[in-house]
Amino acid sequence: MTELTLLLRQWQRRPGRALATVASIAVAIGAIVATWIASDASRVGYRALAESIEGMPSVDVVARAGGRSDPSLAPKLVGIPGVRAAVPLVFRPSLLRAGDARVRDSAVGLDAAGLVEAGLLRLTAGRGCEGPDEIVLSQRLADSLDRSVGEEVLFFAKRGVRRLTIAGVAEPQSLVSFADGAGIALDLAALTDLAGTGGLVDRIRLVLHDDASRASVVAAANARLPGNLVAQVPPGRASMADEMLAGANLGLDFVTALTVAMAWFIVGNAMLMNVTERRRSFALQRVVGASGRQIARSVMAEAGMLGLVGALLGIVGGLVAADPIARNIATFLRSSAIAITVNPWLILAALVLGPLVAIAAAWWPARQAARVDLLEGLANVPPPASGVPHALMLVAGGLWCLAFGILAAAGAGWLPARAAVPAGIATLLAFIATTPATLGLLARLLAGLIPRRLGIERGIALEQVLRQPVRTALTTGVLVAAIGNGVGLGHVIRDSVDDILGWYSRALNADWILMQAGSLAVQGDASPSAGQGIMDGVQRIEGVEAAVPLSIVMGSLDGHACLLVARDLPTSGRLPLNAVGMSNETLRRVLEDGGVAIGTALARQAQRGVGDEITLAAFGRTLRLPIGAVVRDYMAGGSSVFLTRTTARRLLGIDSVDAVLITATPGAAAAIEQPLAAIAREHSLLLQSHREMRAMMDRITTGLVGALWSILGLGFVVGSLGVANTVAMNVLEKRRTIGLLRAVGMTGRQVSRLVLIESLLIGGIGSLIGVGAGIVTALFIQLSSQALLGHPLAMSIRPTVIAANVAAAMLITAVAAWLPAHRAVGLDLLDAIAAE
Amino acid sequence: MTLATPTTDPPVLVADQLAKTFAAGSGNGALVAAVQGVSFSVAAGEMVAIMGASGSGKSTILHMLGGITRPTSGRVLLEGVDLAALDDDRLAVIRRRRIGFIFQRYNLLPELSLVENVALPLVLDGRPERECRERALEAIAAVGLGPRAEHRPDALSGGEQQRGAIARGLVTRPAVVLADEPTGALDSANARAVIRLLTRLVADRGLTVVLVTHDPLIAATANRAIRIVDGLIAGPDGESPLP
Ligand SMILES: Nc1ncnc2c1ncn2[C@@H]1O[C@H](COP(=O)(O)OP(=O)(O)OP(=O)(O)O)[C@@H](O)[C@H]1O
Ligand SMILES: [Mg+2]
Repeated sequence: MTELTLLLRQWQRRPGRALATVASIAVAIGAIVATWIASDASRVGYRALAESIEGMPSVDVVARAGGRSDPSLAPKLVGIPGVRAAVPLVFRPSLLRAGDARVRDSAVGLDAAGLVEAGLLRLTAGRGCEGPDEIVLSQRLADSLDRSVGEEVLFFAKRGVRRLTIAGVAEPQSLVSFADGAGIALDLAALTDLAGTGGLVDRIRLVLHDDASRASVVAAANARLPGNLVAQVPPGRASMADEMLAGANLGLDFVTALTVAMAWFIVGNAMLMNVTERRRSFALQRVVGASGRQIARSVMAEAGMLGLVGALLGIVGGLVAADPIARNIATFLRSSAIAITVNPWLILAALVLGPLVAIAAAWWPARQAARVDLLEGLANVPPPASGVPHALMLVAGGLWCLAFGILAAAGAGWLPARAAVPAGIATLLAFIATTPATLGLLARLLAGLIPRRLGIERGIALEQVLRQPVRTALTTGVLVAAIGNGVGLGHVIRDSVDDILGWYSRALNADWILMQAGSLAVQGDASPSAGQGIMDGVQRIEGVEAAVPLSIVMGSLDGHACLLVARDLPTSGRLPLNAVGMSNETLRRVLEDGGVAIGTALARQAQRGVGDEITLAAFGRTLRLPIGAVVRDYMAGGSSVFLTRTTARRLLGIDSVDAVLITATPGAAAAIEQPLAAIAREHSLLLQSHREMRAMMDRITTGLVGALWSILGLGFVVGSLGVANTVAMNVLEKRRTIGLLRAVGMTGRQVSRLVLIESLLIGGIGSLIGVGAGIVTALFIQLSSQALLGHPLAMSIRPTVIAANVAAAMLITAVAAWLPAHRAVGLDLLDAIAAE
Repeated sequence: MTLATPTTDPPVLVADQLAKTFAAGSGNGALVAAVQGVSFSVAAGEMVAIMGASGSGKSTILHMLGGITRPTSGRVLLEGVDLAALDDDRLAVIRRRRIGFIFQRYNLLPELSLVENVALPLVLDGRPERECRERALEAIAAVGLGPRAEHRPDALSGGEQQRGAIARGLVTRPAVVLADEPTGALDSANARAVIRLLTRLVADRGLTVVLVTHDPLIAATANRAIRIVDGLIAGPDGESPLP
C-alpha cells in the first residue's frame, strides 16, 4: 500500500465526495471550453453580420483633392501587412434597359474575373465579366429585369449605348463590398473607357484580412502613398455594426474572463470542502505519524488527479455544449454556417488548466489540512468558527485599488478600452473578497425576513453560514460572479440597444423611406430638379403628413472622410439629433443659425470639439467654419456632419434629395404605399417601410444581443451547477451535525427546512453582493465603451434586469438545495453520527 | 528536580511539570487550567494507569505525552528527547516511529482495510511495501485478528477494532503505547480481553504502556496508578508513590 492507495480507498469509500469534486472541475473546465468556443463563434458571426451589412473590412485610397488616381499603384499596396487585395474601382451612374424595363443604377468597374478567382466576389451564376462586351448584374437587378446569364441588356453611358451580354449574376451581399450599393459591374478597362476617365480610377479599395486593424493599415498605406493620395476608412462602412461589434467583443471578453474567474471559485470551493470534510482522517493520519507536508502533498496530488479527470470530462462536456450554443448564436445572427472551430491548443490548454486550477485551488486547503489542530481534528467537530483573516482584507483592499487604478488610467486614456475587462474582474473579485466582512450584517438582515416560527431552523442556519466566513464567501462567490455578470452585462446590453434604437427612432422617425439605390459616391450628379420632382410627387399623395428630404453627400473634415447629412428640423416636437452636453433648444438654435453639428466618432477622430475651427470639404468646395455641436449618431458610425438644407445650399451648393422620410397621417401608412411605390419606380428609388428598416435594425441588435445573452445564459447554467454542487457538498459535510440534530429530535421536515433556509441565505447574500458588483461592473463597461462609442451611454438602473437576475439566482439556489435537503432527511442516523 | 523511578534503567518517558491552559470557548479571555504541573516518569516495560474524574485532565496529559498537543509549560522527554524542542515534521516522525496511540473509538480509517490501517505508520515512514505488509500481518496475528486482516473496520466489532488499534500501536515497536480509555466503549467481556492482550504484550514483548482508565479493576492490573484531581497528581495511590 502506498499513499496513492489511501487516496483511491478514500474515493472508493466516499465516491460522492470525489465525484462532486470532479464534477466541479468538469463544470469549470467545460464552461471555459464552451464559452471560449461560443465566443469565437460569436466573433465569426459578428464579422459575417457586419460583412453582410457593410461589406468586407476595407480601406480606400483616394485622391486628396477629390479627383482620380492611377491604378498602377495597386500592386505596391498589396505588400502592406493585413491587406488581402488592392482593387481599383471606378463608378458611373448609368441606365440599363432590357425590353421595356429600365433601371437607373450605378455601375462599378472592376477586375471581376480576378476577384471571383480570389474568392472576393461571389457569383450565383455564370462567371466574372471580361472584355468590353460583358456585364455582371446583382441578383436583385437581374431579377427585376428578368434577365439571366447569357442574355443581353442595353447599357446607356455618357459616350453612347452598348449592347452587353450578362456574363454572371452576383450575390448582392458580395457585390456590396465593392459597389457601395451598385447593382452593375463591368470590366475596369471597359468602364474607364466608357466613362472617359483616361485610365484613372475613382479609388483603390484595400480589402483587409479579418483580423487586420483598419487604423494600422491606414497608417501604413499613408506612409507609402504619394502626397496627392490618402488612405481612409470608407465612410458609411466603418459603421454602426462595427461599433456595436467593438462593444460586443468587449462583452465577450468580459464573459470569458468571468467564466474563468467563476471556474476558480467553483473548484476552490469544492477543494476546500473536500479537504475540510476529512479533517478527522487527516488528524488520525497525523497521530500515527504523517507529517504536515505528507498530508499537504497527498492533497495536492489528489487535486491534480481529480483535476485531470475533471478536465477530460469538462472538455467533452464543453465541446458538446458549445455546439447548440454556437447554433443558437448562428440563429440570432442569421448566419447559416457558423462552423465551430476547435483550436487544438484550447484542448491542450484545458487539459493542463484542469489539474493546474485544481492544484492551485487545493493549495490553501492543503495548507489548512497540514495544520489541522490534532485535538480539534480528532474531536471530529465541524471546523471551529473562524474570523476574517487580515490577509484577506488586505487582498480585498488591493483589488479595490487595482480596479479603480485601471479605471482611472483607462479614463485618462493611458490604457485602452479593453482594460475594462481586468478592471471589471478586479471589481468583482474585490466584492467577493469583501464578502466575509459584510457577511454578518447581510445574513442577519436577510434572516430578519424569515418567519419567526422557523426560529430554530433560522438560528442554526444563520450560525452555519456565519461560522466560516471565508467558506461562505467562496460559495456566494460563484453566485456573485454569475449575478454580477448577468446584471452588469444585462445593463450594458439594454443600454446600448436603447441607445441605438433611441437614435434610430429620432433620426429615422418615419413610416416610409425613399432612398437612392445608387452609390453615394456618385450622388453629386443627381440634379436638384429631379429632387424637387420627387418631393412634389410625394407631397401630392393624400395621407402624407410630412415628407422630410435628406441630402447625403460624401466629404471630408480636416482630411477625415465623413458623410454630410443635410436635413431640415421639424418646427416642433423632438429633434432628430441628440447633442452631447447641450440642450435641444440650443442645438436647434445652433443649426438654424447656420452651424454644423458633427458626430461623436468624427469629433474624436479629428480631436475637435464645439467651437473649434475645421476644414470641411465636399462637392469640390472647401470651407473653414466652427463646430456648432457634437451629436450622438450611428449614421456612418458617428462619422457624420449635420446641417440644415438651407445651410448646405448656401455653403456648399448641395440641394439633392437622396432620401425622403415620409410620415403618414394616422392610420394612412398602408394606404400610401402604392402611390409611393409608383414614385419610387419613376425615379429609380428604393422604397423601404419603417417596418423593413426596423427589421434590419432589429436584426442587428437582436443578433448581437442574442449572442451575448446566450453566452450569459451559459454563465448562469455554470453558476447554478456550481451552486448546486456547493450546496450538495455543504450538506454532505454536515452529515454529522444533521445526524446529531435528528438524534436529539429534529424532524425530517425541520432538517430539510434548515438546509433550504441556509441555501436561501447564501443565495440572498450572493444576490445582494452580486447586484452591487453588477451595477459597478456595468458602470465600468459603460465608462470604457465611452471610449469606443465616443459618447457616454445613458446609465440607468434597470429594476427588471436586476429582478430577473435575482429571481434566477434564488430559484437556482432553491432548486440546488432541494436534492441535498431531501438527502439530509434520508440520512442514516447512526451512520451520520459515526461519520468518520 | 530528581525523579524517583522504581528501576535503575533511565526512564522511557518523563513528564516534567507539565501544564496546559486552554482559552475557553468564545475568546472572551477566560482560561481553563486543564493540567497544572504534573511530573512523573515511566520506565521501560512498565504499565502505568492514569485515573481521575471526568474533566480532571487525563486526556490532556496523554495528548501532551504523545506530542499531539504542546504543553503550555513543562517538558516531555521521550527516550531523553525533549518533544517541545522538535518542529512539527520531526514530531511527526517521532509519533510514527516511537509512539503508538489508541483512542476510545474510531481509531481506524474507515476507508482502509485492517491490514492497511495497521501498516499506515510504516507506509508513512516510507518502508518498502512488502515489509509494511508482513510486519502489519504479524502485529495483527499478535492481537489474534489474523483471519480478519483484509476486513474493513466497519466489519469489525468494537473490541476487534480496539485490538486492531493495539496492533497498529505495536507495529513500529514503539517506545511507548499511549491508550486513552481503550476499553471505554466496550462491554466488560471485550474490555477484559483487550486488557489481557495489553498485559500479555507488556509481559511478552516488554511493551511500555500508559493507560487512562476509569475502571479500578483495570488500574489494578497496571504496575502502578497515578490519580489526577483537577489537573494535579492527588498523591500516592497504588503501590508506587510519586513525589
Ligand atoms: N480544547 C479545549 N479547549 C478548552 N478546554 C478544554 C479543551 N480540551 C479540554 N478542555 C478542558 O480541560 C479539562 C480537562 O479535559 P480532559 O479532556 O483532559 O479531561 P479528562 O480527564 O480526559 O475527562 P474525561 O474522563 O471525561 O475524558 C476539562 O475541563 C475540559 O473542559
Ligand atoms: Mg478523556
